[in-house]
Order: sequence, then structure tokens, then C-alpha cells
Amino acid sequence: MAIAATRAPVRPQSRARARRNALVGWSFILPNFIGFAVLTLIPMGAAFVIAFMEWDSYSPPEWVGFDNFERMLGNQSFWIALGNTAYYAAGHIPLTMLAALGLALLLNKRIRGLGFFRTTMFFPYITSLVAVAVVWNMLFNPTMGPINQFLEWIGVQDPPGWTTTSAWSMPAVIITSVWRDMGYYMVLYLAGLQAIPQEYYEAADVDGANAWQRFWNITIPSLRPTTFFVLIMVTIASFKVFDLIVVMTDGGPGRATLVLSQLIYEEGITENRFGYSSAISLALFLIVLVFTVVQFRIQKRKED
Amino acid sequence: MKRTLVSAAAITAAIGLALTGCSGAPAQQEDEGPVTLSVSVWNMEQTPEFQALFDAFEKANPDITIEPVDILADDYSEKVTTMLAGGDKTDVLTMKNVTDYARYANRGQLLDVSDVVESLGADNLAGIEPFDLDGEYFSVPYRQDFWLLYYNKGLFDAAGVEYPDHITWDEYKSIAEQLTGETGGQKVFGTYHHYWRSVVQAIAAAQTGGDLLSGDYGFMEDQYSLALDLQTGGNALDFGTAKTQQISYRTMFETGQAAMMPMGTWYISGIAAAIEGGTSTVDWGVAPMPQIDAGEETVTFGSPTAFAVNKNSEHQDAAKKFLEFAAGEEGAKAIAAIGVVPAFSSDDVTAAFTALPTDDLSVTTFSEPKDVVLEMPVSEYSSDISTILDEEHELIMVGDASIPDGIATMDERVTGDVLE
Repeated sequence: MAIAATRAPVRPQSRARARRNALVGWSFILPNFIGFAVLTLIPMGAAFVIAFMEWDSYSPPEWVGFDNFERMLGNQSFWIALGNTAYYAAGHIPLTMLAALGLALLLNKRIRGLGFFRTTMFFPYITSLVAVAVVWNMLFNPTMGPINQFLEWIGVQDPPGWTTTSAWSMPAVIITSVWRDMGYYMVLYLAGLQAIPQEYYEAADVDGANAWQRFWNITIPSLRPTTFFVLIMVTIASFKVFDLIVVMTDGGPGRATLVLSQLIYEEGITENRFGYSSAISLALFLIVLVFTVVQFRIQKRKED
Repeated sequence: MKRTLVSAAAITAAIGLALTGCSGAPAQQEDEGPVTLSVSVWNMEQTPEFQALFDAFEKANPDITIEPVDILADDYSEKVTTMLAGGDKTDVLTMKNVTDYARYANRGQLLDVSDVVESLGADNLAGIEPFDLDGEYFSVPYRQDFWLLYYNKGLFDAAGVEYPDHITWDEYKSIAEQLTGETGGQKVFGTYHHYWRSVVQAIAAAQTGGDLLSGDYGFMEDQYSLALDLQTGGNALDFGTAKTQQISYRTMFETGQAAMMPMGTWYISGIAAAIEGGTSTVDWGVAPMPQIDAGEETVTFGSPTAFAVNKNSEHQDAAKKFLEFAAGEEGAKAIAAIGVVPAFSSDDVTAAFTALPTDDLSVTTFSEPKDVVLEMPVSEYSSDISTILDEEHELIMVGDASIPDGIATMDERVTGDVLE
């Protein structure tokens, strides 16, 4: 449509038609766009302004310049939350991708009960998060939980205290979140695998390539667009993690699993410091933006 | 340029809000005819005291009808803050805690009700002190919960241990050790400490005279070592399990898994209901909170709940009438009858408190004079300090920080991050 419009000689009549087409187009996206604008775009824009103010939602906001950012950089809880978010991302991103790819490869074979297994793997993702957190907390129970009982049975002398200790609560959260998310990304990988032409493998077979060579030289390169998409999605999800941590550990013990989005919630919604919490949101936004842009750059270079 | 414009717009909007909130001089025309009084409450269904009060009040004042404004308990503070900021005219506001009260009163959103306090007599109202703002009262407490020791008489009798009548913490510890064991294949803990920080910190502050807002928390040391000794000795369920499994203190006590439990008086109506409903068969009693030294006046902690009148109310006289009723003897009897501890005390009120077991120790626990220290003192820093104390409490209780280290971190964070 757009091409036709540019190619045609510019006459008043066609300009009117172009405008009408544009209007029709706009009217199609309008219902969705209004919701997006009112609920996402405007609040996001507002956060950029509020971050430079002191505002408790009751008194008039006060312009404070960079005070909120200075306070943020001098606040220990912010650095702890930042470190924890990075720790979570560093564990969650690679493990989820590996688990998802592994499952997709396994379930891409023709085996009996394929549909059943695929459904099973997708189940955690559609299960209520609160239920997931409560059940995993039971599994991780240091004294009566099955995980530690199993570890003791295989001869681990001093099994970890999981969510009851600072050192092990983040690994416990990461394990739970990998288990929960892997099914979803597995589906994305499965779609990617199905799209690889069978002829590639046949040709490789003829050339005498073994299974590993086929995987490394055909599967991995052909999956690159899928991997890239999964990577971006998992990265963003990792930095935004909130619900699972709130239900499972509530940031504890102490501040051992406090993450940025939780700090934003506490400072803003609980303490009514909207300026300060907007400043932290901006920091989180920048981090996610930088990571995404860098990943796009790297991907583009590889494609070239 | 653009930035100043946006901020100017935001400021104007906020000022506008504030103005509408403060304007509208209350029409002081006390209607002769029937009046409908709106009262903000939380979780009406699960908080039967409100209905009991309203029914009693309407019966005594047939020309006034109460219209409850029911708000979800978790959102209560935020919701009322927003309502007041928007110039809401709800007549009576329930003050869920003292910190919020101080905030509303200092913003000038509440009506001065010193005359109501005077006519009831400040001496008759437990927990009135924190509502005193330079000699003026903007709210009247009607309920005063305080902490005491619940115990399971059956388990005490079976072990041949005397009931915990005015004991010290040392005696408490040895009783807990004696009562730990097994009954009918079920593990029994000598006591149960719920995972709230107040179980350790507020008791320590009340009984040693320490200040939870001071940034100097050495006074908590003994109470922490007691709590840790009990859990390492297996005489109390460990903190990590209680917290991560979200253990219900009610289940621990009602199923006989704990022989003792320090807890607030709000649980009296809960356990009475559980026994009446047949979900628990525990033979229970209450005793005063254990003390550091024997033979002293009982010191414990607690927190009051109060009613205030909205400055924007259009029925201020009727609203004051409600306050006087609810916080006075009639209201006290109405809520005592359902097992809620009223702030107003008199012999008649104690007699109306039928949910309480009738043994001498339980009755004495209730009626003896005692010093109830406010659970968390009021200041603009209360909530920030509370967060820090919560976090460090967890680390000490799970054993990730030693007691001296944990307390040192509390001191450092509260002084450095909050008080400066």
C-alpha cells in the first residue's frame, strides 16, 4: 500500500486517498494504542519527570534535581539489590536457555507420548506462581524437604539451608525460576528446530558428519535467530523479576534476595517516595536498554 | 523550559488537590432528623468488633444509622490517605495504627476531640498516651491489644509442670525445655515464637526501657540469645522453617504442637471461636508475659486502635457521639462480649469479657495493673527503621549474623541511612 502510494504521481486526489488510508490504519490500532498510551506510555514518561522530584502523592511535588540519584548511589540497599539482580540474571539467563534448548532437542525426536511430554514441560509456565513458590519452598525445607533428604541419601553430609540462609536462597530462587520458565522457551526452540530444513541433515549424513558435528554446524547456526529472540526475552524477564521473589523469600533472609524491582515497589508503593522509586526505575530501564542494544549490535555483526 | 512547564503543571494540579481537600468548611448544622454516619473500617467480615459496636450504637441511638465503608485491611492506610487527600467526607475514621494517626493529625485532617477524651477520663483509657499531641487529642482509642503468654493446660498437666504464673524468662526457658517432647506421635515444642520481629525486639524494648528508634540496639542482646537458645535446643520451631513455610501460629497452638506461645490479645477471640467451632480441643489459659526479674510489675507491649472524626465531616456532633459511645463503657462491653480487648477499663467490662477462661491466673493476667509499652514508637522514621530491623532480625534468627554483629549492623544502618 505504501509502495503504491509513493510510486503514483502526486495528485491531490491520491493524496486525499493516502490520508484516508492512514486514518483507516490509525483507527485500526487506536483501541490498542489508547490502552498502551494511558497505562504504559504516559506513566513511563511521567517517571522520567518524577525521578527529579520529591513527591509523596499527597503534598505538592518539589523539584530536587539530581538528589534522588545521589541518594540512590549512596544507598547500600540499592547496590545490594543491583548486585542481586545481576546475580539472578547471571544464573537465570544461561540456565534457562540451556534447559530450554536441551528439552527442545529431546522432544524434537519422534518418541511415544511426545504430546504428553511436551505438555508436561509447558505446565510449570501456566501454573499459578504463588502455588509454584509455596510448593518449592516446601521442597527446599532444610529439615523435612525432599530435596535435602535426597541429598543426604546420596551422601551429602551438610546439605544447604536453601531459602533459610543468605548464601543459598538466591540459588534456590534461580532453580525454581528456571524450572518455571524452561517450558515456555522450549516451545520457542521447538518452533525454531522444526523450521530447519531436513535436507541439511540428509546432506550432512551423506558427507559422513557425526551427531555432534551435525548439531554444531547445522542446528546451532540455524537456530541463531531463535536463540537471539530467546536471549532478549529471558534477559528482560530476568531484570524484571519480582513476583517469584516476593512470594518465595520476600527479599530475605535479610536482603539476600532483594532485587531492583522489589526495591522500586517498596520505596514507591509502601513508603510513598515516588521520586526516589522513579529514579531507581530509570536506572533499571537504562540497564535493560543497554543490555538489549548491546545484544542487538552483536547479533547484527554476526549476521553481517 | 519544557521541564519547568511540566513540573509547574504537576505542582498546580497537586495544589488544586490539596486545596479542595482542605476547603469546604464543614457545615455545622446538626440535623434534627435521622442522620447517617459513615465509618471507615477494614475487613468487616473478619473483624466482628465493628458490627458489634455499630449494632450497640444504633440500638442506643435510633435516629443515627451507621454506614460502614469497608476497605481491604492490607490497603487500609493507603486508601484512607488517598481519601483524605481527595477531600472525602467519611465521618468517622478508624485509626489502624498510631503512625498513620500522627500523620493525619499533623496534616490537620482530623477534628480535635479532646472534649470526648475529657468526658471519658483519660485515666480510664488504656493506650491513650501516644494520641496526645501537645495536650490535644484528635482520636480516642477504643481497643487496646497487648501481649501475653498463651499456654496449653493439658500439656502442662501431662508433664506435671506448674502453670506459668508470673514467671521470669529464665523460668520460661526451663519450662520450655521440660515440655518439649512427643505426645501421641506428634512432636511438641515447649514454646512457639512467631517470626515477627516484635516477639524479640518489642519485648526487649518494653522490658529494658530500650528505644526502637534510637539507633542503639544493645538492649536486644539477652532476648535474642534466649530466642536462639530455644530454637537451637529444639524447644521452639526454628525461624527459617516458620518463615519460609509461612507457619500459622494458630495451627501451632490449636493442634497442641506448642505448649506456650507469646502472642497478642487479639487471638483470644480467635482461639475461643476455634474451640467453639470444634476445630480445636486445646484446654488453654493465659498468663502474664514473662519478665526479666521476678516480683516486678508486669511490663509488656501492645498497640491501640482508635476512632477519629474527619474534619470534613458534615455530621460532627453525631460523629463525636459515636466516639464517646464506642470508646466508653457501652462500646467496651459490646466488644468485650466478643473477646476483643477494649481500651476502656472497668469491672463491668472485665465481667463482660466472657471469651476469657475463668481460672484465676487468666483473670489476673487481664485485670492486674500493667505497663503496656507502645509496640513501635511514632516518628517520621518509624517505617524505614522498621524495615531495617526486620531485615537484620531475619539474619540473626537464621544464624547468618551473630547477635553482636546483627545488632551492630542495625545500629549502623539506622544511624547512617535513616537518622544521619
